Amino acid sequence: MNPAVHLDGITKRFPGVVANDDVDLAVERGSVHALLGENGAGKTTLMNVLYGLYRPTDGTVRLDGEPQSFDSPRDAIDAGVGMIHQHFMLVDPMTVWENVVLGNEPTTWGGLRVDREAAREAVVELSERYGFDVDPDATIADISVGEQQRVEILKALYRGADVLIMDEPTAVLTPQEVEELYGVFEELTDQGKTIIFISHKLGEALSAADEISVLRDGVNVGTVATSDVTREELAKMMVGREVLMDPATTPQEAGDRVLEVTDLSVDDDRGVEAVSDLSFELRAGEIMGVAGVDGNGQLQLVEAITGLRRPSSGDVRYRGEPMAGKTRRDRIDRGMAFIPEDRQERGLVMSYDLTENAILGSQHDPPFAERGRIDWRASRDHAESVIEQYDVRPPDADAEAESLSGGNQQKFIVGREFERDPDLVVATHPTRGVDIGSTEFLHDRLLDLRSQGKAVLLVSSKLDEVQGLSDRLAVMHEGEFTGVVDPATVTEEEIGLLMAGESLDDDSVEGAALHEAASEEVGGEETASEGAATEEVEGEKAGEGIDDTTAGDEGVDA
Amino acid sequence: MRNPLAAASIPILDDLIESDYVRSLVVGTAGLLALLGAFGLAFPGSVAGDLAGIVFSTSTATSTARLAAPIVLAGLGGIFAEKSGVINIGLEGLLIISAFVSVYAASVVGIGNAVLGVPALAVGFLAGIAASTLLSALFAVVCIEFKADQIIAGLAVWLIALGLAPFMSTVFFGGVNTPNLGANVGWRYSTAMVIVATVGSWWLLNQTGFGKHLRAAGENPKALDTVGVSVSKVRYAGVLLSGVLSGVGGSALALSIGQFVGSGETMVQGKGFIAIVAYLFGNYNPLGTLGAGVLFAGLDATQIRLQQLGYAIPDTLVQTIPYVMVIVVLALVGRTQIPEAAGEHYETEE
Repeated sequence: MNPAVHLDGITKRFPGVVANDDVDLAVERGSVHALLGENGAGKTTLMNVLYGLYRPTDGTVRLDGEPQSFDSPRDAIDAGVGMIHQHFMLVDPMTVWENVVLGNEPTTWGGLRVDREAAREAVVELSERYGFDVDPDATIADISVGEQQRVEILKALYRGADVLIMDEPTAVLTPQEVEELYGVFEELTDQGKTIIFISHKLGEALSAADEISVLRDGVNVGTVATSDVTREELAKMMVGREVLMDPATTPQEAGDRVLEVTDLSVDDDRGVEAVSDLSFELRAGEIMGVAGVDGNGQLQLVEAITGLRRPSSGDVRYRGEPMAGKTRRDRIDRGMAFIPEDRQERGLVMSYDLTENAILGSQHDPPFAERGRIDWRASRDHAESVIEQYDVRPPDADAEAESLSGGNQQKFIVGREFERDPDLVVATHPTRGVDIGSTEFLHDRLLDLRSQGKAVLLVSSKLDEVQGLSDRLAVMHEGEFTGVVDPATVTEEEIGLLMAGESLDDDSVEGAALHEAASEEVGGEETASEGAATEEVEGEKAGEGIDDTTAGDEGVDA
Repeated sequence: MRNPLAAASIPILDDLIESDYVRSLVVGTAGLLALLGAFGLAFPGSVAGDLAGIVFSTSTATSTARLAAPIVLAGLGGIFAEKSGVINIGLEGLLIISAFVSVYAASVVGIGNAVLGVPALAVGFLAGIAASTLLSALFAVVCIEFKADQIIAGLAVWLIALGLAPFMSTVFFGGVNTPNLGANVGWRYSTAMVIVATVGSWWLLNQTGFGKHLRAAGENPKALDTVGVSVSKVRYAGVLLSGVLSGVGGSALALSIGQFVGSGETMVQGKGFIAIVAYLFGNYNPLGTLGAGVLFAGLDATQIRLQQLGYAIPDTLVQTIPYVMVIVVLALVGRTQIPEAAGEHYETEE
């Protein structure tokens, strides 16, 4: 039997770039196939070829053995290929059924009227068949992200898709919604649909796919069955070298209070309360992680701390000094560094070159400014040192920020902020859109800061990141911390529950409370328990041939 | 409850108008008129009595119908353009050009003559519509194809028409005002056109696939593009419809008098801008736009009659009422839903 999808020797060249180089990919009917690779590995290009957005320079797309020639996505849709984009293509104020049938509305009266009844019925029938629980009359803006994703899948099914391509399908979901999505995969494949999804997350590929193909630099470096491969092997295939899977955290005593947040409430742009009555503190030499689904007040919390948004009530103290009325510049001058969520909007001026971007925030201060004039030579030296230390490519201080890839822009911002020699770093999604190799590097830098006794507030939607780096992990839901837990002992399921706004059962809450109490007194006992946890981690790493004697010693001491 | 009128349940209205806001607008206006009528009947000699006499007189009604036609029709056109994602603030220009061309074409044919059996006034109408559609097509190409700023291009449409119409009038007739044709289109025709256009627009927007595509093009063009519908085509259709409807409105305005007046702001006198106000006031709903258009035209007609009765009402002040009202409505009610992608250019990814 022919594979449902067979990409045969696909090559796609853009001027100056080979995005896909002779890629072969065969996907059996009724299976789930993961396309794994780092950013820029050519995954999306390959799928755009399958979806008819690009014509391959060379090679053939076959569906059920039949060669296809797609001129546009419309042709691909007609041939039974459906694409579910990472950013949903839904019209927010319209209803579920209107979105599902958009562009293919059933009509009556010779096309003069959309047949609402027929359209609704088709949507209801489809969602029942695949066990989706979606209200056809709900407005898109009112339903959850997980439901919106199911509407996208319904859209593809309504158009007769047999092959579903999903781009980073779990990027916006809570862990529970991810589980539900895997259930949806099963329903779909049971009924003979074929699923290909793009991902750069190893865990997701391993738990959801039957087979995994790894792309690196536009080449398919191998297709493996999920049952025959380990996380480490996959990581090696993706990056092309050994990768340190878990950051090396070492136990460390927390120092002075750097940041104290008391009863903080912050409104969002619409005047709706986004952060409600939040209190916490952060000490020197400590990384506090904030996890949560995007849009639960993390942005507003960070803005209130960094001085970009005025809190509606409550108090932020930095090194004991109240920050009310202090401007952004006051806070920078006092050593508060900020890695913003949106690097192109707030982190860089895209049309400035790297020299200019390197001094943003320090443009008033020596050595970059003298008597109201900017010292460009000093600025350039600074830019070059950031570029070199943080491996920004291309290494050109005259390059405009917009000419850099997302990952390099991010490395440059992180470099600039860290080189301020800050006492507090507020980092939001510091590795979003950054490939594994650079992520590892940035994680190491964050841990360096921690060991230098700096305080770090790390906001991220990547669970493994906040869990792996943090000393304490707060989970945010609708403007409140639903729990502050010990990242070493908490499970992903527990974090997921907290992210969904539920509280944990008594045991784990107690555990977290104990941990909090322990960190208050900064005593020997606590260090001991952390040391034990670290020892476990170390044990794993020894298997990978990586040794960290200092960390080992401390563990033994404790 | 912020809006007590939204709570009142009126069976037929409930079916026709989904938006609470538009519903309460209709109910509120009807209520005010009833109140005025009651006062007028109770105290015939008072100001209220005079006012009621004017509001409920047939001559006010006919002049309201004449003044409302360009406002409502251009407003309906504006809905189509803006729903599709192109803000057309050039409606005023479309009204001016169609007003002039309709009179010019009718005078070329000559009242009493016919072309292919079509009488002169009808030829004027068609020519006016064609001129307005042509100008809107130019606007569409500039905005959609060449991605010009919609506001600036819209202003250009207005300024072109404002300069061109009186100039052509001077060239062809020796003055900015054309001579009177000596014949005109009765208010019944204008009223019929307004009603047909309103109902037709409502149907097109709410019942047809085209209406859904229009809405998607203005809210999330990418969603429409990915399901294989051309965003550009939908937007062209939206803008051209605004040209057609404004053309009907402008022609109706000029031919209801039988003359084009080109002095000052021309005979259109900002009705294209009032039209924008009317559809915003009506929250992009054709029925609401009809209501708002009639209300504004009624105010204008009442003001004219009050002057004739000797009340010294400054007309310029009355003419600001629609603008003040829309600001009040936008600020206090805030229920108008501007399409998410209105004013933004769209480019497919290939």
